[in-house]
Amino acid sequence: MNDTNKNTKHGYPGLLIVVEGTDGSGRTMQIEKLREWLSFKGYGVMVSEWKTSKLMSNVIDQAKEKNLLNASTFSLLYAADFTDRLEKVIIPALRAGIIVITDRYTYTAYSRDVVRGVSPEWVRRVYDFAPVPDLVFYLKMPVEALLKRIIATSGFDYYESGRDIGLSTDFYESFKLYQRRIINEYAKMSNEFGFITINGNHSINTVQDKIRQNIEPLLEKIID
Amino acid sequence: MRLNKSHDLPGTLIVVEGIDGSGKSTQLALLREWLCHTIKDVIFTEWNSSKLISQTTKKAKKKNQLSPRTFSILHAIDFADRLEQVIVPSLKAGFTVLADRYTYTAFARDVARGVDHNWVRNMYGFAIKPDLALYFKVPVDISLDRICLNRAPKFYEAGMDLNLSQDPYESYKLFQGRVINEYDKMIDEYDLIKINATDSIHNQQMLFRDIVTKTLNAKGIEIKE
Repeated sequence: MNDTNKNTKHGYPGLLIVVEGTDGSGRTMQIEKLREWLSFKGYGVMVSEWKTSKLMSNVIDQAKEKNLLNASTFSLLYAADFTDRLEKVIIPALRAGIIVITDRYTYTAYSRDVVRGVSPEWVRRVYDFAPVPDLVFYLKMPVEALLKRIIATSGFDYYESGRDIGLSTDFYESFKLYQRRIINEYAKMSNEFGFITINGNHSINTVQDKIRQNIEPLLEKIID
Repeated sequence: MRLNKSHDLPGTLIVVEGIDGSGKSTQLALLREWLCHTIKDVIFTEWNSSKLISQTTKKAKKKNQLSPRTFSILHAIDFADRLEQVIVPSLKAGFTVLADRYTYTAFARDVARGVDHNWVRNMYGFAIKPDLALYFKVPVDISLDRICLNRAPKFYEAGMDLNLSQDPYESYKLFQGRVINEYDKMIDEYDLIKINATDSIHNQQMLFRDIVTKTLNAKGIEIKE
């Protein structure tokens, strides 16, 4: 097995593909379809989701229930989760030539934490050890469409509505204001990090096709 | 970064630093008792003690499952939580805050573990600059003698995660030697006041009280004996 790969952006033999977007943008469904497709084609593939490390995910859930987190603590809790997954799961898989798809990545922190008041430079430095992904897909959804999806499915969540930053005591209003700010941060990052922006309002198959078209040329770069 | 600028809050922040076995906690306990009788409005806070995360960190340490970077971030979470829940509100309310270890502990230990010097300083950049930071300096042999009176060195305090030596005592000396090195470099960087921690407890405490008195007087706080 070869240890380094000059054809990937991070230098590991595998591929790192990131899917970003707000809740309700269809991220999880697109990732599942992508995983199936890659497995079917015979590639080793693995999905790693935001906030799922054994070390931190329960701690984060408990902390959020108490609604007593300030911006820097909130940010660092997620950074610990990310680091633990990165070191124990993501990097070992990339070393083994696996395609790692991550459901959210550092960009989620850059948008959420900055909206909560930490400085963009500070949070970027906290995550500066993260491998550069080969592709970042951003599923962009207008707030109005997000609102409909959220109301029809999971309902409002305290933090996803940004209630902790006190924009409005009305959930509907707060969600709108908060998600607008999040979308705004994603828009600002689009050039900075070279996102492939896909309109999340298109049909599931149209979105999936666009994702696959972008990945296809990279598959021959994997070393396993 | 806030850590490099003097704060303008009414309270006073006093921190003690040093490796395990330097006697800094003993010195701070004596100071605290004295201040509780003289100026009264005193709050104490110590490293890795926030309800939010300290148990998680302790459990993970027992299983030896932390990388230098997760170790570093977990301690930063603890610090961030205590800073915003305890330290900043207390300073706003005019308390004298006594902190057993502060950001300098992270700067010394984490860098000794191989974490990037600038990365860890950036992570703690939101910290408040102390009014007074004392560094109790002790040679590594004395520190080892003191902590081994009642126990063997623990996995992380001995730096066993770095594979410096298979022997915990030898590893402790090598690792804490590196930590001392980092502290020494910070004396100028952060204006740490160095105290000779091999001096008698009483002498150190009298010196400590003198220094604290000057700092509090400069803030307009009179100490009534």
